[in-house]
Amino acid sequence: MTENAIDPITLEVIWNRLISVVNEQAAALIHSSFTTVVREAGDLSAGVFDREGNMIAQSVTGTPGHINTMANCVRNYVVPNHPINSLKTGDTLITNDPWEASGHLFDLTIVSPVYHKGKGVAWFASTCHAVDIGGLTMGGDATSLYEEGLAIPLMKLFDGGEPNTMLFDIIEANVRVPEQVIGDIYAQQVGNNVGAKKLIELLEEYDLDDIEDISTAILNRTEQAVRSAIQKIPNGIYNSDITIDGFDTPVTISCSVIVGDDTLTVDYEGTSPQVNRGINVVMNYTHAYTTYTLMATLAEGIPNNEGAFRPIEVKAPLGSILNCRRPAPVSARHLIGHFVSQPILSALSEIVPDKVIANGSAGLWNTMMDGELDAEGTPFAYIFFSAGGMGAGYNRDGLSATAFPSGIMGVPVEAIETSSPLLMHRRELLQDSGGAGEFRGGLGQTMELEVRTGLPANHSCMYDRTQYPAEGLQGGKAGAVGDIVLSDGTHPHPKSRYVLQTDQTVTIKLPGGGGFGSPTSRDPDRVLADVIQGYVSIESAQADYGVIIDSTTIDHERTEAQRKEMNNDSEAL
Amino acid sequence: MTNIHDTQPHILLAVDIGGTFTDIVALDTQSWQIAVEKVLTTYPDPAVAVLDGVRALLKQSKISPETIAHVVHGTTLITNTLIERKGAKTALLTTAGFRDVLEIGNEGRYDMYDLALQKPIPLVERRIRFDIPERITADGQIWKSLDIEALRELCMTLRDQDISAVAICFLHAYTNPIHELHALEIVQELLSDVAVSVSHQVAPGMREYPRTSTTVANAYVQPITEQYMTRVEDGLASSGVTAPLNIMLSSGGTTTVAAASAFPIRLVESGPSGGALAGVYWGEQVGQSDILAFDMGGTTAKAVLTKNGVLSVTTQSEVAHVHRFKRGSGLPLMVPMIELIEIGAGGGSIAHLNKLGLPTVGPESAGSTPGPASYGRGGVQPTVTDADLLIGYLNPDYFADGSIALSKASAYKAYEQLADSIDLSVEQLAWGVHQLVNENMAGAARVHAAERGLEIRRYTMVATGGAGPVHACGVAQRLGVRQVIIPPLAGVGSAFGFMTAPISFDFTRSYVTRLTNIDLDNINTILDDLEQEGRLIVEAAGVPSDAISVNLSIDMRYVGQGYEVRVPFEKQTLTRDHIAEMQAAFEEEYRQFYGRLADGVSIEAVNWRIVISGPTPQIGDLDHNLDSEPSDQPIATRHVFFSTGTSSQETPVYRRNMLSTTWHVDGPAIIEEPASTTVVLPNWSVKVGQGGCLVLEQKDVKS
Repeated sequence: MTENAIDPITLEVIWNRLISVVNEQAAALIHSSFTTVVREAGDLSAGVFDREGNMIAQSVTGTPGHINTMANCVRNYVVPNHPINSLKTGDTLITNDPWEASGHLFDLTIVSPVYHKGKGVAWFASTCHAVDIGGLTMGGDATSLYEEGLAIPLMKLFDGGEPNTMLFDIIEANVRVPEQVIGDIYAQQVGNNVGAKKLIELLEEYDLDDIEDISTAILNRTEQAVRSAIQKIPNGIYNSDITIDGFDTPVTISCSVIVGDDTLTVDYEGTSPQVNRGINVVMNYTHAYTTYTLMATLAEGIPNNEGAFRPIEVKAPLGSILNCRRPAPVSARHLIGHFVSQPILSALSEIVPDKVIANGSAGLWNTMMDGELDAEGTPFAYIFFSAGGMGAGYNRDGLSATAFPSGIMGVPVEAIETSSPLLMHRRELLQDSGGAGEFRGGLGQTMELEVRTGLPANHSCMYDRTQYPAEGLQGGKAGAVGDIVLSDGTHPHPKSRYVLQTDQTVTIKLPGGGGFGSPTSRDPDRVLADVIQGYVSIESAQADYGVIIDSTTIDHERTEAQRKEMNNDSEAL
Repeated sequence: MTNIHDTQPHILLAVDIGGTFTDIVALDTQSWQIAVEKVLTTYPDPAVAVLDGVRALLKQSKISPETIAHVVHGTTLITNTLIERKGAKTALLTTAGFRDVLEIGNEGRYDMYDLALQKPIPLVERRIRFDIPERITADGQIWKSLDIEALRELCMTLRDQDISAVAICFLHAYTNPIHELHALEIVQELLSDVAVSVSHQVAPGMREYPRTSTTVANAYVQPITEQYMTRVEDGLASSGVTAPLNIMLSSGGTTTVAAASAFPIRLVESGPSGGALAGVYWGEQVGQSDILAFDMGGTTAKAVLTKNGVLSVTTQSEVAHVHRFKRGSGLPLMVPMIELIEIGAGGGSIAHLNKLGLPTVGPESAGSTPGPASYGRGGVQPTVTDADLLIGYLNPDYFADGSIALSKASAYKAYEQLADSIDLSVEQLAWGVHQLVNENMAGAARVHAAERGLEIRRYTMVATGGAGPVHACGVAQRLGVRQVIIPPLAGVGSAFGFMTAPISFDFTRSYVTRLTNIDLDNINTILDDLEQEGRLIVEAAGVPSDAISVNLSIDMRYVGQGYEVRVPFEKQTLTRDHIAEMQAAFEEEYRQFYGRLADGVSIEAVNWRIVISGPTPQIGDLDHNLDSEPSDQPIATRHVFFSTGTSSQETPVYRRNMLSTTWHVDGPAIIEEPASTTVVLPNWSVKVGQGGCLVLEQKDVKS
């Protein structure tokens, strides 16, 4: 069928209806979910797929690591193994295979086929982060996948509406909080069912046999729109690489963005090899954060679906940390995976500086504390996520303490202290942590914590950019590196576990974002405003921006001289 | 009005300030006749329009001021002040180490694909956010005492800084307000002419970001609100109106001027809550209690869902969005508010081609200036109103009471190029735009219903606003909703709704505790204090103490969950015996909401909400007075597009104020009135119902 069969009005009406159907699917899932991970942090995705498993539409919730990995999982793994006509109404499939799905065992992908007039017409799928999957808890400590928990190969979760009780029993026996894990599995199934019901209503209302023509038209138009967007940028090969802390040794991510006429390839040749710690990234996850970064940069207003992925190829050497081999440990894959966004943005800055942002804190900082509440040994464990600064853009300062590229949100101090024995002494923006530039990088934040149990506690750190800062763009300076320091002045390992003593507090300083453009081009009034508000110190205003401030006024004469000197120095370099 | 000589106060007066118009409605509680006045809202001082409008209405309807029993007032002043950032210069005092709560926010991005997104700028800039050494822990213990000397010193320096308001928000103040109370006392003593807001009074809930944001917003609008209220009160008094003035709250109740001035942030969105109340009232008139109130005007379309006649009140909302349709881009507020959703951008929404080359509508809007192309006020972009005109739904010579002559030629011109570019006729595209905007609004309503676990098909729609009745049938059809009510007085629906609101005030206090560990003395004291505080406010508004009802609800959840379920529970002195009842009540609500329980997991109570209200005003059968001789015959016919943009249908046009109480026809039909136009689709019927509302019903549904 050609898409000419559908007029543009009907196409847009039905397309909008499909988007509302997946949002209803997600709403039903969230509504029935049992866990804060899904309900508050929004760690889930939901989408509708055509018969062949092409993702047509996704819900507005979700994070890139779920949405795009789910798209690949359904098309390349679920449908080839279980073509839609080999299944029946009431069947549902499940998997958490890291290589085929979203990169670690915690994420459960649940997929249900939909039938109409006796034929398979579509699939609904969702991916949610389970609060536990057995094995070690989340972190980089495992040395192989087998230590990381229960693996579920692609299999039936429901058969004709009947639950696969054997699988449910196995899950129940393997996870620490079965009530919550199984509760969320049912919630995902509820979401898929709501999606299917609403899709059939749509087909009946518009007297359609299936959504193949709609899918073909939407995917083709999306593909065309992405190709047009690529055509607008100059052909060429643009390279960039970054080095980050890694687990024990630094990791380099090398990236070439190859812009063709209407295709785009991102090649990670030259990236560090995989390691024997749980920070390795599977190809699917690398693909997800790569396409996400490209779509956010180049394809504003274009929907994210299978058509958008067609003109884009992503390559990484097998055995590298971005395309690890089985059975590499992958639990904390975000610690590396979030960083693929960074060299892509730097590479693209050569050709579309107005679309990109400078590098930023990138990897979320996950703080995990556990120990005993009292002398009886009642255990506690608590984890929360925090964000450093984002990089600046060509015409704006970076956002302070904001997660990117992750779509996760932080947790209020009052919620942390209500749910755990932690006490926060301080949580504020970190002066001078934003990279200097004509536009300043976003500020990192600092927090000081203690544990109020009167007993020592374990602190597991998942922190990066403590040695390698977020670089600026086009003359912008790097943001500050992060740090972790105890009240006695010692610095624990940023990716390991240590014991926080009863008389100690720990201060965590999150990295800042990189600046954009030369600091000596920043409007002196904006530097003064930053000093008055306390984002930048008077000393940094002089040393980094060449602006001499006398309490609240600019000394213009000395500023001009200072900036001239700084510009000469940088030319001399 | 009939009873001009009767000096017994029996007239209710309601005043609603909207963005464009200020509406005033008078209701005679003896004859149940209604009089209406609409005047343009005045800027910068909306009190001018209020007082002019009231005087005009009194004069025109021959109402003597002393016969007025009660005045209810709702205003957009607070919302506008926040959007335009025209409030008082406000300082913020926080627990030392936490002055950046407003800037750190939730650390998230509200649009994943927008790398250039901007967050709302805090109402208080960083240099006037101050650290005060003190600390209360999550369980309400004093960890570090309030540093009184530091606070006194700070107040002295603030004297020279031109500060007009101060917000105080200390961590965990909702569990133990002692430091906030002490700080309040000191600030009031040293800065006597400054308005002070403290977080445990304004928004006593857990989560420092929304609580601080709410407290700051309250302080920021307080001086302006206070001045405004005084002007309105004095103005009414000088017109001879001495009846008590009550202010509409966003929660659907009304309160005294004093309470409104202390907590002005509770007035945000009071207008739409009046619309929702009116929806409930008109639903009751036809015996329905599950209501979808749908309001569509020139710049916005909103929806409120009401189940069993009870409006859903949320304490999580936002105001002053950076991006109008992006959730998370506004300043968070933690005040009780009727849950309403914006589902579209109204008749001014602009049609264009999206990145896929497909026609799409909004979110850009031509607003009311320059407005749709057909207004002839300089707008050239094709809008929804222009589409409605091109397909025959609107009458070019009878729009907004004939005050705007619509130009079909201008509408045609606006759509021509867009239609050509995708090989459609202008009518086909216009018909398509009408369908698209209906689908988008229906889609937003569907998702909202799904978020709350409601089945919207069983609902009755009550449609208001200038464009509401034009689109109501089409939206209802897409939702599977089979009954639509077009109330009379649609143009002043919110003001009318104010009259049905009880005097009430409510408090929500966070006190997180496992049911098994509950400190009964503590919670009984908290609840009694809240009740006492509320009773004072409600009694001050003239409600006798024996007519006051007290309702308690407890937000509960399983330990570890992030969302709570609101559970009504009888307000009484709680004893050990009540704990099992509380658990049972929670489980009943939970099962209804989620379908299953989580056996073996502990239950905790999070928020305790007390609502203190007076009786709900009873409105009698409104007098269905006709403006002229009744005539059930059409006044004209015109060509209207119903099924596609290629063939139109000759359709009878009726004038609403001529229809008798027994009138009924099958669709298609058009019913015109000054404030709007009702479109009845071919497979629907329409009749005049109770109180003069139009009742539209779908005749048969496709299988």
